Amino acid sequence: MNVAEKKPRIIQPDSLIGKRIQKMDAPEKASGRTRYIHDINLSGQLHGKILRSGRIHALIKSIDTSAAKALPGVHVVITAADIPDQRPIGVAKDHFPLKVGRVRSERDEIAAVAAESEEIAEAALKLIKVEYEDLPVIGNPEDAIKPGAPLIHPEPHGADGTHLHLKQGTSIAHKGKPDNIAMRFDYAHGDVVQGEAASDVVVEDTFKLHYVTHCCMGVSGMIAEFDASGNVLMYSNTQVPFLHKREFAEYLNIDPARIRIIQPPIGGGFGSKLDIYPFEVICLYLARAARRPVKMLFTREEEFLASPTRQPVLLTLRSGCKKDGTLTFRQVHTLHDNGAYTSWGATTPFVMMQTFSSLYRVPHCDYHTAAVYTNNPYAGSFRGYGNLQATFAIEQHMDMLAEKIGMDPLEFRIKNAQDAGEVTGQGMSFKSCGFKDCITTAATRSDFSRKFKENAANRNKPGNIRRGIGMASMLHVGGGAKIYPSDGCGTILKMDDFANVTLITGASEIGQGSETVLSQLVCEELGLPISAVTVVNNDTAITPWDVGVHASRTTFIAGNSAIGAAKKAKAKILAVAAKKYEAAESDLDLRGGFVIQAATGEAIVELSKLLRNLHFQDKAELVMTTFYYEPPSVHQDKGFKGDVSAAYAWGTQVVEVEVDTDTGFVKLVKVTGAHDVGRVLNRLGIEGQIEGGVVMGQGYAFTEDLMIENGVMKNPNFRDYKLVTAPEIPEMDIAFIESMDGEGPQGAKGVGEAPAICMAAAAANAIANATGTRMFELPFTPEKVYRALHGQTPKLYWKPWKAE
Amino acid sequence: MTELKHYFAPTSLDQAVECLKDGDVTILAGGTDLTPQSQAGRVKIKHTLMNVRHIPQLSGITLEGREIRIGALATITEIMEHPLVKEHLPVLVEACDHFASDQIRNAGTIGGNICNASPAGDTLIPLLVLNASVELASMPEAKLYRHSMPLSTFFVGPGKTRKSLCELVTCVRIPVPAENHVARFYKHGTRPALDISTISIGVAGTLKDGVMSNVRVAFGAVAPTPVRASQTEQALEGQRLDAATIDKVAAVARDEVKPIDDVRATAWYRKEMIHNITKRILSHVAQA
Ligand SMILES: Cc1cc2nc3c(=O)[nH]c(=O)nc-3n(C[C@H](O)[C@H](O)[C@H](O)COP(=O)(O)OP(=O)(O)OC[C@H]3O[C@@H](n4cnc5c(N)ncnc54)[C@H](O)[C@@H]3O)c2cc1C
Repeated sequence: MNVAEKKPRIIQPDSLIGKRIQKMDAPEKASGRTRYIHDINLSGQLHGKILRSGRIHALIKSIDTSAAKALPGVHVVITAADIPDQRPIGVAKDHFPLKVGRVRSERDEIAAVAAESEEIAEAALKLIKVEYEDLPVIGNPEDAIKPGAPLIHPEPHGADGTHLHLKQGTSIAHKGKPDNIAMRFDYAHGDVVQGEAASDVVVEDTFKLHYVTHCCMGVSGMIAEFDASGNVLMYSNTQVPFLHKREFAEYLNIDPARIRIIQPPIGGGFGSKLDIYPFEVICLYLARAARRPVKMLFTREEEFLASPTRQPVLLTLRSGCKKDGTLTFRQVHTLHDNGAYTSWGATTPFVMMQTFSSLYRVPHCDYHTAAVYTNNPYAGSFRGYGNLQATFAIEQHMDMLAEKIGMDPLEFRIKNAQDAGEVTGQGMSFKSCGFKDCITTAATRSDFSRKFKENAANRNKPGNIRRGIGMASMLHVGGGAKIYPSDGCGTILKMDDFANVTLITGASEIGQGSETVLSQLVCEELGLPISAVTVVNNDTAITPWDVGVHASRTTFIAGNSAIGAAKKAKAKILAVAAKKYEAAESDLDLRGGFVIQAATGEAIVELSKLLRNLHFQDKAELVMTTFYYEPPSVHQDKGFKGDVSAAYAWGTQVVEVEVDTDTGFVKLVKVTGAHDVGRVLNRLGIEGQIEGGVVMGQGYAFTEDLMIENGVMKNPNFRDYKLVTAPEIPEMDIAFIESMDGEGPQGAKGVGEAPAICMAAAAANAIANATGTRMFELPFTPEKVYRALHGQTPKLYWKPWKAE
Repeated sequence: MTELKHYFAPTSLDQAVECLKDGDVTILAGGTDLTPQSQAGRVKIKHTLMNVRHIPQLSGITLEGREIRIGALATITEIMEHPLVKEHLPVLVEACDHFASDQIRNAGTIGGNICNASPAGDTLIPLLVLNASVELASMPEAKLYRHSMPLSTFFVGPGKTRKSLCELVTCVRIPVPAENHVARFYKHGTRPALDISTISIGVAGTLKDGVMSNVRVAFGAVAPTPVRASQTEQALEGQRLDAATIDKVAAVARDEVKPIDDVRATAWYRKEMIHNITKRILSHVAQA
């Protein structure tokens, strides 16, 4: 024994929380080694392709697949007629994967082919002959609600006009719908009539929000295989594997236990993989019929045509306040373009109404939405989930009201901002709330008040460049959202003989960095380096249940779940150590890979050694724990009231622009953000999350526009659908407000969706500050801005309307 | 997916024009137009796909007498970085600097840009105001035959030129600008990179004692082809560049162009931009 070993070894306290930690998947992704679904090929695999209608609204008179079937290399050709057990899919069960009798949008699926190669499959599609009879097209939601408008989902009739007698069912796909209203929402607290009576000023405006789509770098795809016993294995990029397992089983009419979903690394999600789309079910049908694995990958054009979009919204907002700056009421009517079918886009009002009712203190609020069927692309869920649209309207009105009463817009916001401890009219209870800190921090760091006044004063100076500054704030769920029976997540934690951890979590990694944050939280409990953790999170046969990646919930929910499992492991380890070394459990701790004396940091035994002892000598036991975390939130009642999330996230963004009045070109110069994130867990990760979100919000505000004319997509390509490019990305100054949420993992709250939400609203306010011109319609392309500046934009007005 | 019947990569101009004789040939240079167009089904690859990239006579940038010869295969990057171009034709460098992205500039050629004949082709506007001519090669009999024509007469419509199916573009020739030459190019789109011009403007001439002469003005994306603007040129020719002239010329330019509405802009906005940016360019020239 040498002398050094006798000296007690002291392990200094250390923490991973708040550090800049490289994402665990970064080396693989940066070096091009990640195997996406595109890189996976199974032996014996066929390639699937879908024939889409190309028509906007038409009856299918006949389909002839005989020539396609005869093409060498083609294994299976299917149409709706070949799948008698087709069940309707989607949030409202209003469409069949393969269309029956009628097509309602350009992307509609008519037939599908599985062949030896993609080329053969594509050639086979060209051999399929379809006869259509065109029907009148509904190209915008205002036409859909006109009396006598053609119905998008009438009772199903065949080509000859006879009733199709589909298998009895109660879904819209079976029995049709007497009007074009897909979904409606009505919410109220207080009494807006009384609120309006108490107002000194009232403003009313219509806002128009456009189509954008996710543009994931990895196009959609899936591989489906049935084994010899009829069990299904799917490689899928879903964000919600456990819900989908159940749903796919229903569509295939089999026991959910026979479905296994493996999620390869994903090339972008952003909400787009929250629903089941026709191609996935069709891929399963092909694999079932072919008895071979079938791989289906979209082309980029198909990704544009057949992916969900953010929901376009027409919105009329009426707001009032008193001279002293107190908000009095808010009344909102919106019309959502649902597209031809219903996906999650139709349910974005859940989130929109939270912003209307509860971002600021407003005593009276009245909100009505109808999502209506048209022949346009159908809208799905997209990062921010309606909140970009709601915030766009609300935050412009905050500036407009402030101007009307002659109050500084910053002061006006602070006067009405929520505080910790408040319960809103909608029943949301703000246990932690850094909203006012967000506003003042973003304003101070950007020198908002001085610039706001100066810019306004400089508006009429010579020259063609006008500078503007604008702000907007947001409220979003930050502690999950109780929509499904459970909003929980399970964890299995396993420690090996070398004190390495395998963290088996239900939470999916979709690029947001959840693996890294969950590992950090576990290491923090167990006193281990991040390199000690392997995460398993992509196989429903292994991982415990989780409701899915949405609602900015993963760090909060899966984080608490991982901590729960780690705490149980720690308790077991300390109990064993206490016994072995005759100490009190409470005097011991884990740090740096050792069991230590908590008070002094003195190392007692290497953790790996203790675990080996436990396993091989003392008790023949392993350290393996499980935990299921269910947040203490509640379901909303029928009136949409209730504390739906365990915590709420806040944020303020200040946007600075330069407007060229000769061209209408708006240069985004700087974004200053302050986000209440509860606590920063991985600083590098959260910075990336915010920066990416800002750029996504920038695209929504300025450049991205999926142009749909009478149901026809005009720009399904990156040449004319303009994502933000690197030189356009502005300078960013991001501050974090750490409100230390009591329920959050280490105090953290969700932040995934937050950074995209404020950009369009703040940019509109900045343009108004620069030019005195208000922009009510997105996106702020040079031509739109130029027109507005030159009085060429008629004032938008949509008369408030609500479904009977 | 594009199906190929026959692929040929000649290593001399003679082989190439010989192959072109039967006319059933699609020429491939950088492929940055051809690939997306054939994928989208807008262009059909003919019987033979002929890759011209290995023909030495089509490359290089050289000074020949009082002309700069730019080989058809010169890439946008090569042009941008070439000392001769930088010294004598900065307006062409300016256009290349707003062209696509690095990746596309490394592959895309000037010959491809010319033969693609897009009304929004970015090198075409500076080439027009620099009075470039285009050289064509063919093999009508058994011998290589070359002839030139002014670029201003080369374009017929979108994607259409006076080049026959049996001809190949070998190079463009640009007279070295004389003393007191000024030239400007401006591309207006929605973003600084990777953008198709909403409109583009080129202006060149001799500026002496505040007076513009030998004026050439060209506009992109306002007509079926890139166009010279004769009325605008006339309005500017021999004029002193004062505020009144600039206003007048800008107004003539706006009235002269007949653009269309498309996904990138409306005709109205294009006319406004022709006016505002012509004015801006001329003001810059006047101040310089
Ligand atoms: C992402 C992207 C961005 C782009 N951005 C721009 C831009 O900003 N500005 C712009 O102007 N263009 C742009 N383009 C278009 C394209 O890059 C250019 O037109 C380029 O110069 C074409 O050159 P190429 O060598 O690739 O042509 P190819 O694609 O090889 O050929 C184009 C056409 O010319 C014919 N051809 C080529 N060479 C010859 C020859 N020597 N003789 C006879 N015929 C010939 C071909 O048969 C074909 O019809 C962009 C393209 C892409 C894909």
